[in-house]
Amino acid sequence: MPDFLARLDLLPTLGLGVSTEYGARRQDGALDPAALRAEHPAFARFLEVGVEIVKGLDDDARAWAARGWPTTYHFLDVNLDEPDDFDRGWLDAVRETVAILEPAWLCGDAGLWHFGGRDRGQMLLLPPVLEPEAVTPMAEGIIALREATGREVLPENPPGSAFVGRLHLLEFFARTAEAADTGLLLDCAHLAMFQRARGLDPLAGFDDFAWQRVVELHIAGGQVHEHDGFAWVEDDHGVAVLPDTWTIARAAIERAVNLRAIVVECERNPIAAVVPLFEAVQALLPARLRSDP
Amino acid sequence: MSELDPRRVQQALVCMLFDPDYAARVRGREPLPELSERERELLRELDPRALATDRMRRARALHVILDEYPVSAAMLGIDVVDRFFSSPEFRACVFDRGSMALDFGERWLGDRTAGVGAIEAGLARARRELGRERLESTQKLRRAPGVIPLQVPDGTLAWYRRARERLGPDPLQALTKLRKPWPHKPPRRGRQHLLIEPQVDGTLGIATASEPLVELLRAAEDPRPRAELASVAIELGADSHDADELLDDLLRDKLLCEW
Repeated sequence: MPDFLARLDLLPTLGLGVSTEYGARRQDGALDPAALRAEHPAFARFLEVGVEIVKGLDDDARAWAARGWPTTYHFLDVNLDEPDDFDRGWLDAVRETVAILEPAWLCGDAGLWHFGGRDRGQMLLLPPVLEPEAVTPMAEGIIALREATGREVLPENPPGSAFVGRLHLLEFFARTAEAADTGLLLDCAHLAMFQRARGLDPLAGFDDFAWQRVVELHIAGGQVHEHDGFAWVEDDHGVAVLPDTWTIARAAIERAVNLRAIVVECERNPIAAVVPLFEAVQALLPARLRSDP
Repeated sequence: MSELDPRRVQQALVCMLFDPDYAARVRGREPLPELSERERELLRELDPRALATDRMRRARALHVILDEYPVSAAMLGIDVVDRFFSSPEFRACVFDRGSMALDFGERWLGDRTAGVGAIEAGLARARRELGRERLESTQKLRRAPGVIPLQVPDGTLAWYRRARERLGPDPLQALTKLRKPWPHKPPRRGRQHLLIEPQVDGTLGIATASEPLVELLRAAEDPRPRAELASVAIELGADSHDADELLDDLLRDKLLCEW
């Protein structure tokens, strides 16, 4: 198999897209991705579908895929570094879902999606342990999922308020991508959470990062909370993007020469509320990512 | 430098997120056999306040337990049920890739709620087995997924049904209004044999069953060769000429399956 930088040529340019997950639109005022595409085609050129296999795909995701519109598959239920998580039943269901969505690639937070086994009440999301020993098991999981699905698998930096380990998050993900020979999904809001938690500048670690592997970016709103004098960010996917996230997004777009897609995560907000956010993100995009669908 | 298993560190972190007392023990000096010194050092570096940002984490998990064990919760009180998340059984679930609901019922609950806990744990197990992937058939026999044989104190089923009825159509709401644990005690004497069984409408039924049937299905917990299971049936009282036919009947009734 050619190396990832050679395989990059096979990945489509998706441009600006929007995310969803099972039942996201049940909430009053939540975003209707198809309506957004109808009203603002440039803002919803693809749909990133969050998938928890036990829930499956909702009608919105199925309808989008049935129209042949582009998608990506964002997993919400696999601990990549845990070989027992790749059981036959789960993998079969992933392959069936991939056959429906025909996603451009798979992606998802490379962290702890559940404690214990995969069972009711045990879902959560924690970042990986940022130590060299955690790189190889994570890379092996990425390779296993890529081989099982025949699609590229892009690990994403997860959110968190408690980060364990001494590596910088960007260094950990650069090492993981190198070991798995894969691309990366950089979540700008999640990275801002890490930098804040470590007391670092928003762009700390940027100089040595593997920018040529960054294929996708996420941009989302968040809220700063304080608990007992401890400030932390809730990744609420609202429309108020924090200044640090914008700083990271602008700098990342400048550096990520192989960028193919940007997702604005705002699935719980009405169209009128999200349009200004999409316009602001679109203004940052290079021309090659801005073309009409 | 001592060893570092990233998964073990993450598992300990989960326990710290659920249980401030465990977090304090990790930060302290008393021995913790599940963690190496290097692993513990990494966890000690965390700001304790960073572990308390999701104040609903434990409540969400408790909700699942209350939903699956409503009668046991009414008997014990919610505060007592909540202690599960600070228990060695919960930590074993986290470290051993367990099921929280099953470990609550089958390990932590023990005899605290007598046969009622056994019924609710059986129902929890049956729900999970129905969704479980089936391995390649080995030509052996075992109890069918979702079929759970139980032995409980005599009169437990009727007691459980009355208690369940008393909690009404929304047991969780009833539990939140409960100011103290029920004073009523479930039966503790004698023996009753029960079978939890999937129904055609997808629900789970519970009914009394004969002791030999319950014992035979308990003997078929793990896949066994047909001849071996037939011998068990004979030991339990089946006629030696009818044992094979009995196994065929149980296969037809979907109480046993080839596995």
